[in-house]
Amino acid sequence: MFERRLHRHIDWLLLAAVLLLAGIGLVMIYSTTYDVMQGRVGAEFYKQLYAALLGVAALAVCLAIDYRTLAEYSLVVFVAIALLLLYVLVFGVVAGGARRWINLGPMNLQPSEFAKVALALVVATFFAENRRGAGNWPDLATAAVLLVVLAGLIAKQPDLGTAVTLVPIFLGIAFVAGMRLKVVAAILALAIVAAPAAWMFALKDYQKSRIETFLDPEKDARGAGYQQIQARVTVGSGGVTGKGFLQGTQGQYKFLPVAHNDFVYSVLAEEHGFVGVLVTLGLYLLVILRSLDAARMAKDRLGAFLVVGLISGFTFQVVYNITMSAGLAPVKGLPLPLLSYGGSSIMATLASFGLVLNVRMRRFTN
Amino acid sequence: MRFVEDRRHLPRRLAALRAGVIVVFGVLATCFWYFQVVQHQKFQEMAQNNHLRTLALRAPRGTLFDRNGRVLVENRDAFNISLVREQTHDLDGTLAALARITGIAREEFDAILARHANEPRYRPVLLVGDASLAQVSAVLARRLELPDLLVQQVPTRHYPTDEMAAHLFGYVGEITEQQLARQDHGGFGPGAIIGQSGVEQIYNAELMGVDGARRVVVNSVGREIEILGERPPAEGARLRLTIDADLQRAVENGFRATGYWGAAAVLDPRTGEILSLVSLPAYDPNRFAAGIDRATWTRLNTDGLRPLQNRAIQGRYSPGSTFKIVVATAALEEGIVTPDHRIFCGGGATFYGRYFKCHLAGGHGSLDMRHAIEKSCNVYFYTLGNMLGVDRIHKWAQLLGLADKTGIDLPHEAESLVPSTEWKRRRTGEKWYAGETISVAIGQGQVSVTPLALATMISTVANGGTRQVPHLVQAIDDGHGWQPVTPPAPLAVTSMQPEHVAALHDGLWLAVNGAGTAGRARLPGYDVAGKTGTAQVISNQGRDRARGSGTSRDLRDHGWFVFFAPRDHPQIAGAIFAEHSEHGYLAAPIARHVIDTYFAKLEGRPLPDYPAPKAAPAGPLPADPDVVAIVDPTDRGTGEAARPAVRRAAAARE
Repeated sequence: MFERRLHRHIDWLLLAAVLLLAGIGLVMIYSTTYDVMQGRVGAEFYKQLYAALLGVAALAVCLAIDYRTLAEYSLVVFVAIALLLLYVLVFGVVAGGARRWINLGPMNLQPSEFAKVALALVVATFFAENRRGAGNWPDLATAAVLLVVLAGLIAKQPDLGTAVTLVPIFLGIAFVAGMRLKVVAAILALAIVAAPAAWMFALKDYQKSRIETFLDPEKDARGAGYQQIQARVTVGSGGVTGKGFLQGTQGQYKFLPVAHNDFVYSVLAEEHGFVGVLVTLGLYLLVILRSLDAARMAKDRLGAFLVVGLISGFTFQVVYNITMSAGLAPVKGLPLPLLSYGGSSIMATLASFGLVLNVRMRRFTN
Repeated sequence: MRFVEDRRHLPRRLAALRAGVIVVFGVLATCFWYFQVVQHQKFQEMAQNNHLRTLALRAPRGTLFDRNGRVLVENRDAFNISLVREQTHDLDGTLAALARITGIAREEFDAILARHANEPRYRPVLLVGDASLAQVSAVLARRLELPDLLVQQVPTRHYPTDEMAAHLFGYVGEITEQQLARQDHGGFGPGAIIGQSGVEQIYNAELMGVDGARRVVVNSVGREIEILGERPPAEGARLRLTIDADLQRAVENGFRATGYWGAAAVLDPRTGEILSLVSLPAYDPNRFAAGIDRATWTRLNTDGLRPLQNRAIQGRYSPGSTFKIVVATAALEEGIVTPDHRIFCGGGATFYGRYFKCHLAGGHGSLDMRHAIEKSCNVYFYTLGNMLGVDRIHKWAQLLGLADKTGIDLPHEAESLVPSTEWKRRRTGEKWYAGETISVAIGQGQVSVTPLALATMISTVANGGTRQVPHLVQAIDDGHGWQPVTPPAPLAVTSMQPEHVAALHDGLWLAVNGAGTAGRARLPGYDVAGKTGTAQVISNQGRDRARGSGTSRDLRDHGWFVFFAPRDHPQIAGAIFAEHSEHGYLAAPIARHVIDTYFAKLEGRPLPDYPAPKAAPAGPLPADPDVVAIVDPTDRGTGEAARPAVRRAAAARE
């Protein structure tokens, strides 16, 4: 399965950039969970460290198995994930008002993170095996069913943020699979029309208030608007070179809540300044562009679609989270891939880069 | 091949994605550049406002010492519970919890917060002053639930616990809205604790000190993480008062033992230094020190005994026979009579068609001035007053220090009144009738004076004519050692004839040591001189009318005793005012005790105890538990029973 000399074709640059970002993430989690009163680091740091190591193992596994082999089992994977999500809805661990986790003893597993990989795999396989591409409505609709099943189960937890990240995975694959521009335009138009309807019927009150607050943060400066204002203060006060590691006042003194999770990038901007922002933005851009290269070079449509699906979800999450961390988007519980705290997230993300590397490595194999 | 055909889209669309991503990242980088580089200054300040706090450190007020260096008023550490509204998430919950913990009504907190509604939200608002340890630990235990409650240790005034000299010291309290609006309080901000009465008020600027500040780093729940810098508070200046704690206590013990409310002022006639200034009933200034509760304040204000009034400088009473000293001095110094001038008393005399009685029905016979003072003969002084006229009496009352304010360094002193023709014309537009002078000559009619004014008068007579300004502060220490305070200049210096002074002193000595009314002040070997007086609360006709009406007002007369000692070269002088004691001689034992204490101290003898109570307790006892009962309740029965006997004895004498 793993042919000799195949490792020569590994994209070491991409791998290095991914691991570097994960390392930066660990440093930021160290900083944001550091307890100034006690003078020691939080337990989250060690959890994340172990999860990252597990993630590297997952990356290796995903790299080792030919992605075409995996595609053959894509439907099995899809059904397995769907069942796990169903299981979560019934037996999952409740935290913060949502049922998202499966208790695995020392760790909680968040299946929705792995659902992203599963969806990319199954949709890519679907369009790759479909000779007509994504040109017509019936095929698009069939693939969309796959999306709706997983997104619906996740939204039910409720975890609207993660559910929404599935959409760009689907759209990204459909786009490169040849979806007509007319259809792209139609989807955009539909989104615009659907927004008020969603506002009226689908969104819960807390979701509405987040959006309202985003439009006018001062209205609720102590409540929901607080995070947004503090995020901007955190970023802005960092300046060009930042306040230094563990020296950020906003993060260290907890003016910015859940800094190790949703707002880890704000603290990075505070402690390492605009310089740190440029470095990390550059690394992310490098990762995304190298992945798109992998798609371009892929031996078959399956490989290209798989990479595009994975990287679309990744890019969407990166862009949204960074925008939010500067206080420029409504606050949404969406982690920053590779940087934010979250064991399932880091493992799933590293696994998906295993697949990206896999596609590129096997571009010459049959 | 279709397969290949379909892949045609791929590179173009990948290129589009690529371009899109680059544009988006470019925009993101621009946004961060805008926040972190362009607007950095603004966000930097906001971040500092978040985590940097300047906390005021209250300066301890200056300590008050007595003339012998004994501590009278100092500071102790108290715990205040304040609300930092900036940290409040659930105001209702916080206030309800605090009300439960402290047992204070929720409405009180609301009222306090309403008063501070316009202040910045980061400034703590004091809700519970001087909280008990149980309250403090209950709040601290719920710190996570109640992050907006702040417990601060602050220096708080500590007064003697037995209410000693309460009116003299006064009390401190939070600056009021009106005081803030008046802007005459040296720029103190809201929440400042300033002197509101007594020495605390008059010397507030000296005693206040300068508050310090501490710059701290706080986290998002307001907890202090780190101290960046501190400017320690500067303690207020220390004051050494002229008061002698032993004499102050002697007077107060004297009142307690005799069972009267009243007032007293004792001073050094040579300098005007006040040795003791008493007003009873008193209150506990400690109750004010950390914010008084409304119930106690209302009770103090509505109490019929008026415990908040400083009777020594604010109560005005008719001086009665003590005023004869002024008339005698005026008559001698104006050259109207000599000390040997004799007048016949037949038990009364007629002036301007009206008969004025002497208190001794059979009359005193022929008397010179010394004996007229000794016996307190009314007819003698009617005659002198008639010869002098009211304006010369007023002039001498002023020169001796009985009219107008004494000028003591205490707030809200009342002006003592001795009438004149000018005064009556201004007041009523009518002319003075010579007949009115006759009543004035024995200290009745319009004459109305404070105990301190009377003490000043006797002190001026004692020292031979120098009207000293009574004052309370000897020295001040603002951190550079004790500096003597220049005493105020005398308000009037009259060089009285030595033989006149000797005659007055002899008469007053006889009143105590001869056949006079003040034998109870006699202290063998110390030549006490003095004079009793009775201040009518109501005229005799009025008393007859009131008798049937069942009024609850106490209509019994007040007793006075003015004194100095020793007769030659007096060192101590004063006035004792015993409310509703009916007779001046019942106030005399208090003076005797004070003089005894003074000389015992001077000679190094052990301080005397007050002799067993001789007189009955007077006045309705306080219903208010906050006003210390000055009479042991078990004594009451015997006291009441003893009263008729006392009255009979008194009638035989005066």
